[in-house]
Amino acid sequence: MTLLETERVAVSPVRHGTTPRRTGRGRAGYFFVAGYAVLLLAFGVFPTGYAFYLSLTNDRGQFTGVNQFVKVVQDYRFVPAFTHMLIYLVMWLVTLVVVVVLTAVVLRSRVRPGTSALFRFLYYIPGALAGVASVLVWLFMLDPDVSPVSRLLDAMGFKTFAAVLAPGNLPLILMLIAFWTGAGGWMVVMYGALNNIPDEVLEAARMDGAGPWRTAWHIQIPMIRQWIVYMTIMAFATGTQLFVEPQLLQTASLGRVSPTWSPNQLAYVYAFQQGDFNGAAAISVVLLAVGLLAAGLLVARSNLFKLDEK
Amino acid sequence: MESSRSPRTGRRHSLLRAAAITLSLATAAALAGCASADTTTPSASGTSAFKPVTQKTGSQITVWADSTRLPSVQAYQKSHPDVKMKIVTYDGGADGSTYLQSKVQLFDRTGSGWPDVVFGNPTDVTWASEATKPGARPFAAPLDEKLVPQTTLDGFAKGSLTPCQFNGHTYCMRNDIAQVLLWYNKSLMDKWGYTVPTTWQEYEALGKKVAKEHPGYLVGSVGDTNSHESYFWSGQCPAFDLVKPDTLRTDLQDPKCTRMATLLDNLISAKAVATQGFFSQGFAKNSGSKVLMAYGPSWYGQYLFKAGFKTPAKQIAAAPPLAWEGESTTATGNVGGGVWMVSSHSANLKSSTDLVTWLTTSDANQATAPTYPAYTQAAKAWLANPANKDYFANDVSGPFEQAANEVWTGWSNTKFSDSTAWSSVVLPALTAGKSLTETLPAWQQEIAGEAKTQGYKVVDQ
Amino acid sequence: MTQTTPFLTAVRRRAHPSRSLPFLVVGLLLAFLLVFFVLPVIWLLLAPSKTAGEVVRDNPLSFGSFHQIGAAWRHLFAFQDGAMSRWLLNSAIYSGGSLVLTLLVSVPAGYALALTKFRGRKTLLVITLVTMIMPQATLVLPIFLELNRFHLIGTVWSLILPFSFYPFGVYLVYIYFGSSLPRDLLSAARIDGCTEWQLFSRIALPLAKPVIGLVAFFSFVGNWNNFFLPYLVLPNSEQFPVQVGLNQLLTSTPSFNPVAGAGLNITIPELALAIVIAILPVLVLFLFSQRTLVSGMLAGSSKE
Repeated sequence: MTLLETERVAVSPVRHGTTPRRTGRGRAGYFFVAGYAVLLLAFGVFPTGYAFYLSLTNDRGQFTGVNQFVKVVQDYRFVPAFTHMLIYLVMWLVTLVVVVVLTAVVLRSRVRPGTSALFRFLYYIPGALAGVASVLVWLFMLDPDVSPVSRLLDAMGFKTFAAVLAPGNLPLILMLIAFWTGAGGWMVVMYGALNNIPDEVLEAARMDGAGPWRTAWHIQIPMIRQWIVYMTIMAFATGTQLFVEPQLLQTASLGRVSPTWSPNQLAYVYAFQQGDFNGAAAISVVLLAVGLLAAGLLVARSNLFKLDEK
Repeated sequence: MESSRSPRTGRRHSLLRAAAITLSLATAAALAGCASADTTTPSASGTSAFKPVTQKTGSQITVWADSTRLPSVQAYQKSHPDVKMKIVTYDGGADGSTYLQSKVQLFDRTGSGWPDVVFGNPTDVTWASEATKPGARPFAAPLDEKLVPQTTLDGFAKGSLTPCQFNGHTYCMRNDIAQVLLWYNKSLMDKWGYTVPTTWQEYEALGKKVAKEHPGYLVGSVGDTNSHESYFWSGQCPAFDLVKPDTLRTDLQDPKCTRMATLLDNLISAKAVATQGFFSQGFAKNSGSKVLMAYGPSWYGQYLFKAGFKTPAKQIAAAPPLAWEGESTTATGNVGGGVWMVSSHSANLKSSTDLVTWLTTSDANQATAPTYPAYTQAAKAWLANPANKDYFANDVSGPFEQAANEVWTGWSNTKFSDSTAWSSVVLPALTAGKSLTETLPAWQQEIAGEAKTQGYKVVDQ
Repeated sequence: MTQTTPFLTAVRRRAHPSRSLPFLVVGLLLAFLLVFFVLPVIWLLLAPSKTAGEVVRDNPLSFGSFHQIGAAWRHLFAFQDGAMSRWLLNSAIYSGGSLVLTLLVSVPAGYALALTKFRGRKTLLVITLVTMIMPQATLVLPIFLELNRFHLIGTVWSLILPFSFYPFGVYLVYIYFGSSLPRDLLSAARIDGCTEWQLFSRIALPLAKPVIGLVAFFSFVGNWNNFFLPYLVLPNSEQFPVQVGLNQLLTSTPSFNPVAGAGLNITIPELALAIVIAILPVLVLFLFSQRTLVSGMLAGSSKE
């Protein structure tokens, strides 16, 4: 049904390929992947290994075992940084999944196609403002002095920019920024996925007397399940990388946001302020492990990313 | 659809295997014998003499300056066309930025790329005077080692080179000092018949009076990233006191801290002191015209009142720092005050030091500089320049010179910026309606935490 | 978000008669999202037309004057002798260079992973997937040390090479070829005596246009917006891409950096204009590629 499954069908014939051909095609395969493999080794595998090496040694190159990890975990900034990231991730993923899926369903089944296309397009535009630009825009949106929604901010009790940036609000603010730039694109993708559900299936559901919401819950959403998991994994991976957003908020708030708000910032401070690349690598490895574990679990539970069958 | 749920264990195994490897690596490491995870303590380089790198006469020098100091560097280039220069602007280490430090860390790793001359803040000198890793040489060159004549160094205002001095050497030249004093709106004070306070007690009393008689008018703000330097440094609060080079005393329950906190809390609850910063986005628009007094650095005059609040000329005046009743010595704080450093890696130390000397000491540059010069001779020229004083309602020379000599030296220059803890812990608490007094413990805890990560021993007595 | 629960309970009650309520809710949801997504963009486009004072004082959604846009433009491009244009050029070089390299390596790689058989193919795929979902930012530090060892720091290669490594692109190509290139076609061509290279260049490549566009789009947009790596590895502000330049502009804006930024002409309108200019290339791409993108993303399961 989805692109992630179809290749199962496509891949299988390969295994039945005749043996004599194998060597020639094998060499061709190596030729085609050579460039990529070099980059993969240089910028994927090697840095990962290097990060592990650094996290297990000190700056004199001596083996330190888990001492680097013990050191960074005991750092008084470690737990807050990871807590911040966790709160942000939960808020961001839940909001993303719920709103994106809901909106996609609404746009697919409750709105005329022309209107739907217009909405999708408008929702999708902020995606062009990813990164630094989006943070800058939201700095203005959240500053009661220049914001077009200053009345709303006022009504919510935020009279000054400083009040908006209260420590407890940061995960929400970062979530808003991430949602603003990212959600539109995912809505478009989800809509496309919904669009691929054959009309006959929906027709059959209607014949059985299912209303539009029931159809959505029991037919449409299960059928785009893999896309939802895919979106969650990708959003999770970007979510763990929080760096530029809190960093810019720190600059713009004149330091009201801690310079070690997110784990990546803490790693950055370790490396470039304390000159401790090994401690920084230890934080990176922890982050890497968390990210891979979560993604691995999702992948394993959802049958996503088919490679081959045994 | 249902077919997609059939188990496909191959791929699942690959990913789980990757995770398993991660875990087993960590476990294996735990079992092995291990060296310490601490970074090497940089050895004090004071004892070994400074050896310059091979010099190339006339080679190009790279200068990093902040945008405020950029015109000065350009002026030097114009008047010295034979010196080959490349000028780069960066944030200048404002607001606790660690940009310069990060980049020097990078250059120490790459072994090249250091700028020859940089503008920075005093915190930058703390790390620049030490090696960033074993085998590296400290970034800043010791200027007192045959680079700048001792007579020149002696010409700086008393104590203004203290942040530059480590291990008995001088690693930077101070560009400006930002001595804290009392700014007030003379027109309003005269109109309402108030006398300018000379002590903190009078300041507090007047603040309460203003709050009652002219609600909305302010006698200060604690909401800026450097407000603690205006108030707590002036109040001689031992927040950043290096009793030994590696031992930091931070005791915010000291009476000198608590009395300042109490005073400010009283004024904050009377709404005479704002918790919104002078420099925050909406302040100039909403309250810029309602600032009766401001306790802050010498550059408030030009930057805050003239450029920020656009207060008309001949209204703003300066008064000497406030004293505590019954105490004989007055002390004041310092907010910023940049430094110039020369790189120890420079292949053209001659031109580099010449530039730094010109920037910090020459009348040609400093008489028209945007901030108050640290070099005594230049400060005289600065004060003699009508353009620096015309805006004010009184002669600011006296208060400026007096304050410059009263900067308290018990607020040490630590390896971490003193504004991080204030901005990220105290200011949000104030915004949330907490009092300064009840925030002092959290502030102290954050300072202690920061200090420990920088390798300081922390004591509170 | 909280509205979902009533939706679902309504469904279970077989809510045919009360159609008007969901309709209202649907309308509200779409309208709210519309304001949320579009309002900031409109504000951003209007801000450069006002002076710094007007931005603070006037109605946030009013238009100032074209004259003021010109003034903001001049201030912005006068900043550090036209640093803005240099940053834009840098961004174009970094993103463009890595785009070319990305396409050169990932299209053949995705093709080979999908349609040829060789030892290590599966390992390569697994590693590709793992690197794709792992937080890239954690590798920036080791990558820096590595680039340093090869004396690439400060050169354009310190960005172009790491940018060119794009596992997601390879995965997209792999999926595309795996699902939309009929294997029989390749077998037939082999029997006709085509070499492996000819199969790729004459048959696969012409078919791959949609996915090439897709990879190109994601790669370009991702690299154009990348901040962390250039922020770390580029020592010199003349080498900055525009994203890092925006950061420098931010720190130079008096309202955000009172101490360092005084005396500069960079205020809110200039900053807003800088943002607009910085995102313009990506925005143009977005406007023209929505349709292609969706069809590309969903290429695996085309329902024509």
